[in-house]
Parts: sequence; C-alpha cells; structure tokens
Amino acid sequence: MAQEVEETMKRIQSHKGIVGTIIVNSEGVPIKTTLDNTTTVQYAGLISSLADKARSVVRDLDPSNDLTFLRIRSKKHEIMVAPDKEFILIVVQNPVD
Amino acid sequence: MADRRAELERKKAKLQALREEKDRRRREKELKEVEEAASRTLLGGGGDRKELDELMREVGVAPISEVYSSISSANSLTPEPSRNHTPDTSLQPNSLPNNVTAIKRKIPQLTVVPVQSTNIPPKEIVLYTKQTQTTTSGHHDVRDAHATDYYVLTYDDGQEGEDEESSLPPHLGGYGGSKLPPGILPHGLPQVKEVQPAITALEQEQKKEDVKEIRELSEEEKQMIILSEDFQHFIDRAGRIMERALCESVDIYMDYTGSLGEDGLDEKSHQRISFQRNFFDERWSRNRTVTSLDWSPQFPELLLAAYNNNEESPNDPDGVVLIWNTKFKKATPEYVFHCQSAVLSATFARFHPNLILGGTYSGQIVLWDNRVQKRTPIQRTPLSASAHTHPVYCMSVVGTQNAHNLISISTDGRLCSWSLDMLGQPQEILELHRMQSKPVAVTCLDFPHSDVNNFVVGSEEGSAYSACRHGAKAGITDTYDGHQGPVTGISVNGVQGGIDFSHMFLTSSIDWTIKLWSLKDSKPIYSFEDNGDYVLDVKWSPTHPALFAAVDGSGRLDLWNLNQDTEVPAASINVEGNPALNKVSWTPNGLQVTVGDNQGKIWVYDVAESFAHPRHDEWNKFLYTTQELRNNQVDDELEKLNISMPNTSLSTMGSLSMTPLR
Repeated sequence: MAQEVEETMKRIQSHKGIVGTIIVNSEGVPIKTTLDNTTTVQYAGLISSLADKARSVVRDLDPSNDLTFLRIRSKKHEIMVAPDKEFILIVVQNPVD
Repeated sequence: MADRRAELERKKAKLQALREEKDRRRREKELKEVEEAASRTLLGGGGDRKELDELMREVGVAPISEVYSSISSANSLTPEPSRNHTPDTSLQPNSLPNNVTAIKRKIPQLTVVPVQSTNIPPKEIVLYTKQTQTTTSGHHDVRDAHATDYYVLTYDDGQEGEDEESSLPPHLGGYGGSKLPPGILPHGLPQVKEVQPAITALEQEQKKEDVKEIRELSEEEKQMIILSEDFQHFIDRAGRIMERALCESVDIYMDYTGSLGEDGLDEKSHQRISFQRNFFDERWSRNRTVTSLDWSPQFPELLLAAYNNNEESPNDPDGVVLIWNTKFKKATPEYVFHCQSAVLSATFARFHPNLILGGTYSGQIVLWDNRVQKRTPIQRTPLSASAHTHPVYCMSVVGTQNAHNLISISTDGRLCSWSLDMLGQPQEILELHRMQSKPVAVTCLDFPHSDVNNFVVGSEEGSAYSACRHGAKAGITDTYDGHQGPVTGISVNGVQGGIDFSHMFLTSSIDWTIKLWSLKDSKPIYSFEDNGDYVLDVKWSPTHPALFAAVDGSGRLDLWNLNQDTEVPAASINVEGNPALNKVSWTPNGLQVTVGDNQGKIWVYDVAESFAHPRHDEWNKFLYTTQELRNNQVDDELEKLNISMPNTSLSTMGSLSMTPLR
C-alpha cells in the first residue's frame, strides 16, 4: 500500500513545473515531502493554518458546506491545497503554459 | 449630661420655691385682703404703698417691690430651649406667676390664632453605585490591540503631489508641479490607514510556543501514518483531485486584446480527422496490446481499455485493465486493475456503474469494483467444465435494467449467459456449432441495437455467423462465407433513424479486406479492398449510418463514408510510428475515434463535426448506395461469367436469366 503512495507522489511530481509536494497531518506536521526541511516546515505550518482558516470561513458562511480545494495563485507559483479530514496535500508548481 | 441634670435639679428646686412662694402669697393676699378690708374699714380706705409695705414687713412678708424683682430674675432664668421652640410662652396658659398676677390685673383676651404651618418634606437622596469596567493591564506602555481595531486618519503628505495630478485635469496639473504653497492644507481626502497592531510581549511568547509545538515525527511514526487506512483513502482521493487540477492548463489570464492565437486551428478545422491525444502508462500499458475498448454508459468520458500480457516483464500481472478519463487532461489512468491471466475483452457492467467485467485468456470472467481499494478482481467465475475453459475474446452485457445478462463466448464455441449477482455458474450454456458438431472458434461478437436474442459472430475459420440464444433453433442460424482468413472484427449498424439498417454488418479480416453484409444475403454486398495489411478491427459510427472506421496492421486508421465513396476511404490517417492497430472504438457521441495499438498506446482522434454528423438525407442515400453496390455485384458476376465462358455468349445470357436479380 505504501507503494501506491509513492506512486501517486511520483506521478504528481512528474508533472511539468512541479516544485514540490508535501503531505501534512492536521497539526501541520509534515509526513511526506519532496522539498528540503526548512521549506517544508514553513509551507506545512503556514498552509495548514491557512487551510484551517479557509475551512472555517466556508463553514461559517454555510455550516453545511465544507472546503474541498484551495488554489493560491501568486506571481511566481501556484500553491494547490487539497485538504481532507486529517491530512492536507500541498503541491507547489510554477505555472507554465 | 451631668451638668444638664444638675441644672434641671436646680430649676426644679427653684420652681418648687416659686410654687411655695405663690401659695404663701395667696394666703398672704387673702390675709391682706382681710386686713385691708379690716383696715379700710378701720382707716377709711386710705393707705399708700409705703404704709402697706410697712404693714407687710410687720407681718413678715417681703415688700411688693422686692417680690417683683425676684420674679423678673426668676423669669430670666427660664430655660433657653423652651423659649426657642415656643417663642410666645407668655401667651401659654400655664404661664409664670407674674402673668397670673397680670391676669389678675387685666384679663387677657384669648383668641385662637391660626398658626402658619409649613410642611417641608424630607429631602429624598437617591443612592446608587456606578461602575466602569476596564481591563486591567499590568503594562501601560503597550497597547493590547488587534489588526482591525484601530483606524487612524492620516493626511498623506508625501504623495500629495501625485494625488493632485491624478485628480486635476492635466493642463492644471502642469502648473508649478502642483505643489501647494505653505500654509495651505492639502484638500485631498484623508486616508484611512490600518495601523499595525502592537505586538505585546505576551503574544510573542505565544508565537514562540506555537513554533515549539511542531515537532518532527520519527520515521516509524510517519510510516505508521502512511500505512493507515485513512491515509490510503486520503492519498487516493487527494491525489486524484490534484492530478486533475494540475492538468487543467486553462489560462485564466488570457488577454484577447493582445496578439492573435496560433493559426493552426484553421488548418485543423479543414481536416476531417485530427489527432487529439494519447493514453499511455509507462508502468501498466507498455508493450501490451490493447485487446478491448469500451465506454462507460454512465460517465461518457471514461474509457475502459484491456491489455494483453507484457512479454518483457514476466513478473507483472498478465492482464491489465485501465480506465482513462478523456475529460481531464491528466495523463495517468483513473483506475488500474489487473489479474493473473491476460484480459482479452472488457466491458463496463452496463447497469452497475462501479463494476467492470473482464474475459480472460484462461476462460475466467473476472469482476472488478472501483469502490474497493483493490486492484485485483473481487469476484471471478470458476475454471470448470460448466463454464469457459477456452479464451474469452468477446463479451457483451445485454438486456434492460431489470433483466440483463452478461454474454460471453469462448473460442471453443461455448456461449455462457451470466447473472452478475451470481458468477458461480452460468445461467445458460449454448454450444455454437456449424454443420454437425463442429465448434465455431468465435473471435468477435456483436448484438444489433437493443436486441437480446439475435447476434452475429466472426470466427477463426473466416466465416461470420448469425445466431440466436433462444427458441427452437437456438444456436447458429446462418453462415456468411467470404473471408479467406480469420475474422478479426464484426460490427452491426446501430444507427437509429428513418430506415433501419440493423441487418447490415461489417467484418474485417486478416485477408486485408473489410466486407459489408446483409443478414438477408449469404454473399457480401461489398468488399473494401484498399488496405495493404491485416485489417484488425472495424466499427460503424454510432451516429452516421454510412460512416465506419477501420484499422489495420500498418498503423492506418480509415474512415469510410459509403455515401461519398466506396472505393477509397473518405479520411485516412497514419498513426505515428505505424504500430499495428488492434482495436478501434467510437465515443458514444460519434465525434471521436479511439484506436488501441500493439504497444500499449491508445490514440484519440477528433472527427470533424460536419463529417461525423449525418445530414437528414443520409439514410436514403445509404439505401441507394447499397442498392447500387448490389447492382454492381451482379454486373461483376456477369463479367466473370463472360470471361470464363467467352465462347458461349448465349449460355451466358441463359445463366443470367437463371440468376435471380437482387
């Protein structure tokens, strides 16, 4: 089963322009990453708190609603966040055309 | 207190003395009156005060003048408070003895005097407690504020010039750089600025603590999480979403005011067939021949592809089934399934959107479920004489939502009909024999649209057969001989429209030809002989009655439109690298053709809409075309007869009259 996780990570990583992939748990602790340690810790902490905030925004607006995906487009990167109950998948990519 | 009591005692004593004196005086008076009366009578009523005094003194009574003085002194000694409360004590009835004497002298007139009374209500004092709640803070020098708590008005002095310029028309703005003379306030709007919250020492401490909380997990802990079921579910779901999201290359910053896009589009629109994309997975589909293609009836974007074994990697499972998604641009399969034996045919279980069926080389029918986190089949039919023991090259799900069966035919000519609820044993078994128990090695099968009983099959012997499942003559009903090699593909015209063409079917064969048949004729209506290699599959368009696609071993994909031309394909394209193309399939909307090759690639081609969609007269035209093809066939036969019997022209005529015109 762990093999499938690796496979999925590899598949995502093989896309064009991918900078890194991080999986963090609900506490913002990185579980798997393809980035270096400091960057990972930074992304993990910041993105998980942002995802929490975004989720609470969505839920406050409509309690029956929930956050499913979060995309942050910046000048340099695009950060895509797929939050789940217990884990968050973060992918950073350079937008290429 | 003691003083007061003493004073009171003294007053009492004095009063007592006065009272005694008064009594005595009354007695004296009475005496005096008696004496006076006596003296008057004696002296003739004439006597003055002196005489009286003397007389009194004689008797032992103090003279009147002394008594007066003593009384006035006593009067002055009357207590103060009594005088305060009742200022006119003299008017009171129990007045002092001197008053009594006064009364005696002139009787006072006592009248009721209305006393003016003023009622002053006591002043009401309302008491209440008032409190203000303030947060107590130990530190006065720092503000306990949040980002949005403070808004401060500031006049933007620095950018004042710019503001001016932007608000004023340009000709005015040019004057003196629009700097205001000193003393004149800028008249721009005040700007509201958000002030950075003051960060207290407390907050800073908290932040530090937060950072400290994030501890790194050990490798074992990470591995534990990765192996947990929750994580598996998460990665399956999130990975899928992420891949789709990554492949969305929509440029949301598209600017149409800029330069024009590529002009390749125009070129494309002229083409009847153009390459769109291909599906290939390095791990699962490399070196495997595509053996079957099917489209999901529930999700028209899902393409099911079955693959043969990969001879280069004997350790991998022989049979692979991948589900590809044509909607998203992601290059990886949506689902991966595999089994021990090579999968030769695969189909979506038409009324169960989650189930996928596969026919294998071993003869087993296997069933996968995409709801289960498992790539291996969740169910399989037994390998026994009661079911298939030969490779199953063709399968089909027929029937309705409530009554449907899976029909599978193996190369030993055995047809099994299964219920998806019970794959333990087939519901029905039918042996397909031709001419006295010679089994038919079935390679391909097709059912006419919405028919559950009649079907056509192609065989290794090169013949096509029509057959039926039920009735007195269950089994092979008709034989269609014509091909010189094994039949690789068979397709029944399934287009609905004004005229029913469901009796028309096509077969492709290793003998380099495609043949058009009608169920009513044992001879082919037409043979398409444009290919220079094995023709490996043929399929009618699902929307156009006269359009079909065919693929061959040299990597050529042909689209034939019989209403346009019957000699050469209407559109033809060579697949890159010229791999042998094993399977062809149309999308349900008839706008795309997918082709599977022998190296594990699936190629998707767009068919021009004008070409794929039939005009309303296509049905009549196709009827006319087939009629013409038949006539040509008769002419050909005549010609052949003429060539074979050049000398007996008369007999030729005779034979012609004998041959019934079709």
